Amino acid sequence: MDFSFSAEEEKFKQEVQELFISEEELSKAAKKEWNTGLGFGPNCWKILQKIGERGWLCPTWPKEYGGLGLSYMYRYIVVEQMHHFVDIYTTVGAGMAGPIILSHGTDEQKNKYLPPIARGEVEFVLGYTEPQAGSDLAALSIKAEDKGDYYLINGSKLFNTRAHYSQYHWLGARTAVIKPKYKGISLFIVDLKNTPGITISPIWSVGGTRTNEIFYDNVKIPKDSLVGEANRGFYYILEALDYERISTVAGLERDFKELVEYVKEKRKAGDPIIRQKLGGLAAEIESARLFALKVAWMLDNGRVPNYEAAMLKMKVAETEQNLVNTAMQIFGPYGQVQKGCRWAQFDGQFERFYRDSLENLITRGTSEIMRNIIAQRGLGMPRR
Amino acid sequence: MDFDLSESQNMLLDTAKKFLEKEAKGLARQVEKTDAGYSPELWQKIAELGWIGLVFPEQYGGIEGTFQDLVLLVEEMGKAVFPGPFTTTAISGLSILDHGNSSQKDAFIPALTDGELIISPALIKPDPLMNESIVHDQASMKNGKYLLSGTRLFVPFGHVAGRFIYEADTDKGKTLFLIDAGNPGIRCLPLDSIAGDKPCEVVLEGVEVSEEDIIGTPGKAEKIIKQINTRGALLESAYICGMLEQVLKMTVEYANEREQFGDKIGALQCIQHQCADMATDTDQVKFLTYEAAWKLSKGLPADKEVSMAKSWASDASRRVCLLGVKIHGGTGVMEEHDMQIYFRKAKAEELAFGDGDFHREIVATQLGL
Ligand SMILES: Cc1cc2nc3c(=O)[nH]c(=O)nc-3n(C[C@H](O)[C@H](O)[C@H](O)COP(=O)(O)OP(=O)(O)OC[C@H]3O[C@@H](n4cnc5c(N)ncnc54)[C@H](O)[C@@H]3O)c2cc1C
Repeated sequence: MDFSFSAEEEKFKQEVQELFISEEELSKAAKKEWNTGLGFGPNCWKILQKIGERGWLCPTWPKEYGGLGLSYMYRYIVVEQMHHFVDIYTTVGAGMAGPIILSHGTDEQKNKYLPPIARGEVEFVLGYTEPQAGSDLAALSIKAEDKGDYYLINGSKLFNTRAHYSQYHWLGARTAVIKPKYKGISLFIVDLKNTPGITISPIWSVGGTRTNEIFYDNVKIPKDSLVGEANRGFYYILEALDYERISTVAGLERDFKELVEYVKEKRKAGDPIIRQKLGGLAAEIESARLFALKVAWMLDNGRVPNYEAAMLKMKVAETEQNLVNTAMQIFGPYGQVQKGCRWAQFDGQFERFYRDSLENLITRGTSEIMRNIIAQRGLGMPRR
Repeated sequence: MDFDLSESQNMLLDTAKKFLEKEAKGLARQVEKTDAGYSPELWQKIAELGWIGLVFPEQYGGIEGTFQDLVLLVEEMGKAVFPGPFTTTAISGLSILDHGNSSQKDAFIPALTDGELIISPALIKPDPLMNESIVHDQASMKNGKYLLSGTRLFVPFGHVAGRFIYEADTDKGKTLFLIDAGNPGIRCLPLDSIAGDKPCEVVLEGVEVSEEDIIGTPGKAEKIIKQINTRGALLESAYICGMLEQVLKMTVEYANEREQFGDKIGALQCIQHQCADMATDTDQVKFLTYEAAWKLSKGLPADKEVSMAKSWASDASRRVCLLGVKIHGGTGVMEEHDMQIYFRKAKAEELAFGDGDFHREIVATQLGL
């Protein structure tokens, strides 16, 4: 048993930290941009490229595709520092699409997509959800017809968040109408910037985050857009979701520390209710951090974190809820006022989080779905 | 023992339901973006329906209902998240009725029940640790007049109020004033807030008021303020109760419609249990609120019961709305869905007239601790 980083990992962590510290202005600007809810702005791209330049966005990938051939613990370390300094902790390209291209893509696809992902130059938008297919992803119905020398796509997607600034759509589409439904799904990469017939229209969340509806109207995409084998898309999607469940609580730890300092400053440190709440939160955040470390460690040791990743995802989202809620409780009536108001604490940051954090309970698998996974895969309990 | 409503209460609620369904659909969303933050036209209409005058004597344009009736009406408003200064105007009016002199009653209560005058309690003093640059409290005498300065926060609908209820520490001790909001020494700034319900910062600088503006006995403000806060807390509980009933209804309807994995999500026991918890929480709020209202209507001591109701309501408002959001999935998080309005509003209601921690403390004190 050992709960510390190795000397090399520790050294690497310092190096990563030093980048963000030397790029303090840029990090802050990127964080600010990201927290507008509009997605990546110019500063976000810039900091991603600084990270990418060093091979840190995808440190586990082979060198030929822009990685460093390092273990998952190194990725964890980067993700943690990114979360701490800019709130963005990965890209969809580096975290979900890339790993699937790496394991199931053609050489051509690998050469085309992986290096720019690793350099932080391109982003993918997850194209899974549809009005009738949320938790039940296998119910998706957008149609991809094989027309011999191209695929013809018709249908729509809902809540595809990064569509308005991503270059590529990571699209799950139906290629066969069969039972079980999941055996008729394929994965495609669609060039959003250069393909006619695609309409992207905004939807706003209560947290002020922009997400989108995407409409495909007789859209032709080349045959080599297909990822892996036809009709095996659902397996890849599940695999990619497991990658995306790699997470960190570094941003929560940072906010928690600030909250503790605030409580001292405002002379509320003697309040027994606040003490209890903060004491409980500290334990909750630390346990979530250990979940995150365990998942990274398991991946490095060839173990499959199937239920552990679900526990991590659920616990991070729920801990975030608890943190934001505790902060709001501590602020009392001052918690309700928004950014820009002189009575707002932390310039209204927690007021926005209070609204925006709801989405983490729902995206990437709801807490109920995570609990199903923990019970069924983890505890071996029967499926319904 | 009787958990049923009276015939007149049933009639009142029947009218209220129909009216709110017809007039208030989507209203909360619309008015949030306006400067007023409520609908002055509907305000006139509810005055005509006798709602603003509900608990006031006939001689002042009221219809002599009980506090319990008021609680039931506010609950209906909560279902529709009906926006406006209704509860705070009612409790302000009641303190004039209970403690004002006859010329104050004649001057203000008929205007209030008519819908012409909005009165708002401006009683929350800023915590100096939150922001240092404020106008500090001062009350001095000059030529037989009081000169008041001070800052009050989170004044509900302060920007449309005609009068404020304001407390100042005078030579005679803590004294309550009914201040003309049009006084040139007053500045009122609506604050952007999570619920979009325009809590205001009200600043007084050298505001001249006379003895005629004092409510009740000089030096005896605390008792009246406590009464305002007790009534306010209970009406907020009633409003929350209505909101939660509506959230539960919306959520159960959604769960019974939405299909995933080839079945209604409402058929899943985990969703059923969440809905069952929402229902139980909501009924807890409801009966605690009703009992406290019954006690207040009978003139019985009700501090403990009111604080039990508001402490439960404050926390249930968060719990129930959070479950409502979750069961709606991604849809519930979107701006265009009503669910999020309830979620945001719940935060404001949780805080108004004391949050859960605040009221549990009162309950503990009432237990003799
Ligand atoms: C802000 C935001 C951004 C998003 N971004 C993206 C994106 O970029 N790309 C993308 O593809 N999708 C995205 N999504 C969609 C997200 O992944 C889905 O909302 C999520 O999977 C849930 O699906 P749903 O909304 O249809 O809810 P539903 O699946 O309809 O769920 C409704 C309720 O039923 C429960 N439920 C459903 N099935 C079960 C079950 N079997 N057991 C127990 N409970 C169950 C759920 O937990 C939930 O409480 C985003 C969503 C949001 C809110």
